[in-house]
Amino acid sequence: MNNLGWGLQMTMLGMGLVFGLLALLWAMLVIVLRFDSEPAAVGAGKATAATPPEAVGPETADTPPPGATVASVDGMDADLLAAILVATLRHKEVRRAQAAPAMRSYWPGSLLYASRWVASGRSRQNHVWERRPR
Amino acid sequence: MISADTFHLLLQGVANVSLQSVIMILVAFVLLYLGIVKDYEPLLLVPIGAGCMLANLPLSPLIADEGMLKILYHAGIGNELFPLLIFIGIGALTDFGPLLENPRMVLLGAAGQFGIFLTLLAALLFGFSREEAASIGIIGAIDGPTSIYVSGILAPHLLGPITVAAYSYMSLVPVIMPPMMYLLTTKKERAIRMEYSQRKISRRTRIIFPIVVTVVVGTLVPFATPLIGMLMLGNLMKESGAVERLTKASSQEIANIVTLFLGLAIGSTMVGADFLKLSTLAILVLGIFAFALDTAAGILFGKVLNLLSGGKFNPLIGAAGISAFPMAARVVQRVAQKEDFENFVLMHAMGANAAGQVASVVAGGVLLALMGAK
Repeated sequence: MNNLGWGLQMTMLGMGLVFGLLALLWAMLVIVLRFDSEPAAVGAGKATAATPPEAVGPETADTPPPGATVASVDGMDADLLAAILVATLRHKEVRRAQAAPAMRSYWPGSLLYASRWVASGRSRQNHVWERRPR
Repeated sequence: MISADTFHLLLQGVANVSLQSVIMILVAFVLLYLGIVKDYEPLLLVPIGAGCMLANLPLSPLIADEGMLKILYHAGIGNELFPLLIFIGIGALTDFGPLLENPRMVLLGAAGQFGIFLTLLAALLFGFSREEAASIGIIGAIDGPTSIYVSGILAPHLLGPITVAAYSYMSLVPVIMPPMMYLLTTKKERAIRMEYSQRKISRRTRIIFPIVVTVVVGTLVPFATPLIGMLMLGNLMKESGAVERLTKASSQEIANIVTLFLGLAIGSTMVGADFLKLSTLAILVLGIFAFALDTAAGILFGKVLNLLSGGKFNPLIGAAGISAFPMAARVVQRVAQKEDFENFVLMHAMGANAAGQVASVVAGGVLLALMGAK
């Protein structure tokens, strides 16, 4: 019975402490997250909404001023991200056009893919041009 | 001519087979079966089963004073090293983003720890000592490394059954939780849809989070510092992105190696003479009781939040406030989806689940502090 009373005390105190500590942690998180708010992103949303569809392309008075942070991913703004994306796609197209070895889907000799040369060679092996002796 | 002594030496293995060791080898087979065939926590149950089998073979040199399993035990369990190393890996694998998006979920993590203290009460009723009861209660943290850490300090002689209960039941979360969920919630409650507004969490905040948690929890509950410190160290390495090699090593190589050593060392504690007792059976029963209580407490707390929010909170989310990450959240999503196929509560449940991870460590530290552990 003595042990049970002690156990009840432990339960009350223990759960009280766990709740208290985690409530404190909650408060700390709220404070940390308050500093994490991104007003620039909200502003960007408004700017986009205010921009008429026909105004896409040339800069208008409603577009954010140069240098303004529109939205950021890992510290990069949207313009920089878009530029990187375009450059990457363009680079990929150029490499594909050049058919550089780096663009091969499979290593030479892979059985998963046969180039036209390999396919032709295999075909010749299977269909000899010489007439078979009768 | 072969002497009688030589015969004796040759047959000493067979001569030392005992009923206890045979039963324990059968227990090892069951653990191996669960791990290999049933796929229940194989990463732990297979090494534990192997350790158990090796330790119970007659005159096993592995558990002699200089035996490998004994050395592993002293190197990593006796001094709490292995659970802490595993915690670095867990931290490196855990995404606290869902919790940061919805910080109030922290309270659900707290509610999920009721099972610890209620199981402690039940263990006292079963006649266990205070230290033993507290160690058994920690199964309710549903967190293997925390269970090992706390019971290793308070009741090292119960480490084997407590670890086996903690890990084997953890793998049974999808089986244990749903009946409690159906029992304690109505169809209407399970079908509640919760609005999810994804909030962008900056890298800066993700880096600050582990530091703040370590400082706050470590200052207020010094006993939790090793656990929370290692958990948050792993997370800090992951979120900072500055030490990718260390993050990868912590979450893969180190975690894998330590898991193997930990499993073998735990298995080696399951020697027949110490394990085959009524107390082991009681611990296994109390373990499942702890899991069920955690789920029930979480759901009931979820119901309170449902009441306070005017019916907007799905009480099932409360059940995810435990440390079994991310299995508990997935179970919650599955049960909610059974009522309404288009109901997606997964991210809310993940938030509560991540909170359970932190809360279980805090509860472990609180328990050690209250027990006056040294």
